[in-house]
Amino acid sequence: MSRRLPLLVAVLLAAVLVGSACSSTPTPPQGGEGGTLQLAYLADMAQADPDVFYDIEGNTVILSVYEGLLKYKPDSTEIIPSLAESWEVSPDGLTYTFKLRSGVKFQDGTPFDSQAVKTSFQRRLDVGAAPSYMLEPVASMQTPDATTFVMRLKHPVAPFLHYMASSWGPKVISPKALTDNAGKDHAQTWANDHAIGTGPFQLTAFERGQRYELTRFDGYWGQKAHVDKVEIRIIPDIGTQRLQLQSGDLDAILHSFPQAELASVKSNPDLQVQDFSSYLNNIIYLNTNKKPLSDPALRKALASAINRDSLVTEVYGTYAKPSSSTYPSGLLDPALAPVAYPPSETTAAVGGGKKLTFAYTADDSGVHRRIAELVQQRLDAAGFSVTINEVQLPQVFEYVNDLQAAPDMVMQTNTPDGAHPDMWARIEWYSTGGLNYLGYNSPQVDKLLDQALETTDKATADRAYGQAGKILAQDTGIIFVADPRDVMVLRKNLTGIEHVPNYPWALNLAALQKG
Amino acid sequence: MARFALTRLASLVGILLGLSVVVFVLAAVVPADPVRAMVGASASPQIVEAKRHELGLDRPLPAQYARFLSRAVRGDLSMSLHTRRPVRTDIAAFLPATVELAATALALAVVLGGALGLLTARGGGTTLRVALVAGASVPAFLLALLLLMVFYARFGWVPGSGRISSDLGAPTGPTGLLIIDGLVHGRLDVVRDALAHLALPALCLALGPAVALGRTLRSSLQTVLVSDHIRTARAKALTERRVLLRHGVRPGLNAPLTMAGLQVGMLLAGVVVVESVFAWPGLGLYTARAITSVDFPAIVGVTLVMGAVYVIINAFVDVAQVAADPRLRAR
Repeated sequence: MSRRLPLLVAVLLAAVLVGSACSSTPTPPQGGEGGTLQLAYLADMAQADPDVFYDIEGNTVILSVYEGLLKYKPDSTEIIPSLAESWEVSPDGLTYTFKLRSGVKFQDGTPFDSQAVKTSFQRRLDVGAAPSYMLEPVASMQTPDATTFVMRLKHPVAPFLHYMASSWGPKVISPKALTDNAGKDHAQTWANDHAIGTGPFQLTAFERGQRYELTRFDGYWGQKAHVDKVEIRIIPDIGTQRLQLQSGDLDAILHSFPQAELASVKSNPDLQVQDFSSYLNNIIYLNTNKKPLSDPALRKALASAINRDSLVTEVYGTYAKPSSSTYPSGLLDPALAPVAYPPSETTAAVGGGKKLTFAYTADDSGVHRRIAELVQQRLDAAGFSVTINEVQLPQVFEYVNDLQAAPDMVMQTNTPDGAHPDMWARIEWYSTGGLNYLGYNSPQVDKLLDQALETTDKATADRAYGQAGKILAQDTGIIFVADPRDVMVLRKNLTGIEHVPNYPWALNLAALQKG
Repeated sequence: MARFALTRLASLVGILLGLSVVVFVLAAVVPADPVRAMVGASASPQIVEAKRHELGLDRPLPAQYARFLSRAVRGDLSMSLHTRRPVRTDIAAFLPATVELAATALALAVVLGGALGLLTARGGGTTLRVALVAGASVPAFLLALLLLMVFYARFGWVPGSGRISSDLGAPTGPTGLLIIDGLVHGRLDVVRDALAHLALPALCLALGPAVALGRTLRSSLQTVLVSDHIRTARAKALTERRVLLRHGVRPGLNAPLTMAGLQVGMLLAGVVVVESVFAWPGLGLYTARAITSVDFPAIVGVTLVMGAVYVIINAFVDVAQVAADPRLRAR
């Protein structure tokens, strides 16, 4: 009997496995046009509402279904037409007139016009979620005719056109869908998992925690998408994503591929590594509000002791450059606000045994942990005693409420909402900035940024932004570590790869083709 | 029996109250600001405060707890900060996948553990024991990846992730359990596809509990096998197999059943890791995301549901023990 039971178990197991073997996945169609593009997200995008959505994971869906008035040219900071064909800004910087594209239809057949724009923009203000700040400077909106849309601002806002082109900028939603589903919450319940815009894809499935499906919109006004469908599955483990990419069940991994494994991908004949310029910026915030880093000289010594340039090469290889400016590369002439951290002779005297706490947020590519470990090693060698600690983002947001209890250093990779210096400086180091985690506070910097915001002459404004950055750099309030590339791993047969630096982790899905 | 059910119900209420207090205290102790994360970097301080007020997070903790309780008794578990939907809706959407996975894993654990216990009780089953113990000793996420590398990437026998192939058009009701729904609708293709998706995650989850069950069964069988009634059975010249299955197992089930109830807890904990690796759209995945975004309403909701499931299953275990061992009824 004792011999038969293992046999029984083996038969049972075999039955399960054979049963599984029968259900093979269908073979994807071959050829240039059509087919289904298989992508993955590491996490749920939570919602499809463009007036609430304020995350990075999920922007491929938003940008495929919805369009705003403007967008960015691929590989560039240049603003180009989208739903607006042209635009005009009054000399006082207060009136923005957009000439809208005619003949555009929403995915539900509703015609697109200036009233639709006004309805959507007003909704963004009414919903009042995170991305509504981009329309808060608007005093009034007018629709003189069906293809003209005019916004009058309360005060000049230098980056206003960039707001319109931002990944999180105001999008135009079908006014019919908004009315039909209005409810009592400005159609938020509907828009949470439905979407009707003017973009090249329709959202045909939104299964939370499982998958999103985009289907080509054949009535699209512009260049129609090449693939028939895009399926985006939630696969929270980057290891599982890699296995599926290698097996051909995924066509691309758009972010967070383990940095250490990129070399091995290059030798794989089925895969390609693509890297693009981005405004991602890896930075270390220093807590200037408490000892010991309230001492500017110590902050400067610490920055040098990290020996940043060699650290960047060691962690990122060729996929990042040491930051040359306080602004992400491409936003402002680096000469206006340069940073450099000449390595110092490391002697134990620099740190003098001072204890430092260093918090960093987790990332799937392993880059943050690696940087934190190297910084710890190097600072320990310089006589500091560093404790590193992996934290979640909401914990980081809590620091500013109690700066004395907050860590001495915090590391993150951030990206501005748009390709304008104000959209970086104002959130990162303005005294009340939303990502100013450790409460850096310089009245002079605040004043310069406020001046620049209302300056209509670009050169003058840029000088003010540069000056603000310079003060911060001299102060060593933040250590600017690296300008990483946006790195993606794709199957070799993918072509039509189009990337915008300001839309991180995203490709233009309509341009992609499966060869 | 009615009295038994009532005491169980009372204990369930007590346990859920206790659990909710623990989670609320944790929320107060863990320094995190989910509101700021929610409203975004460019929100003005006024917007942050308004949102905090709207969510009631500016009130003292006891007041927050009172508000939570008064809503919870009406079945309202508040809104998730992350998905911005009622937590109840979210849980209803994610629970069936976890139930299906955990139930399959438990069944598999009982089969494997039972086989292990029966075989090793008399000194055999070395191969099975080595295989199970080895599997159970590997950390769950590593085991999951290893299984995927072999059975998905190398042999292509099973799908790489998820719960069902999206092109099948699987039925969406009535139970939310794909195997049962597939059977109800007569869709054998759905059942087979669901089983293929289930095989690896369920195996991964089942190994640890299987070893625990097998060991308990073994030691309890060994005690039974030297007792008087077994000697009598042997004296009647019954085959060893009949002695073991007919006279040994039933009195030896008490301890393994208790262990099975306890292992349900382990299983529910393992779900978070296993669901992440296999992209299984269940409560584990939902919880992992809720934790990283410090979404306390969601965390509280999941904790309460998991706690209730655990207590209810252990109540069933008690009933099963009485059924298996009539001696317990005398008490």
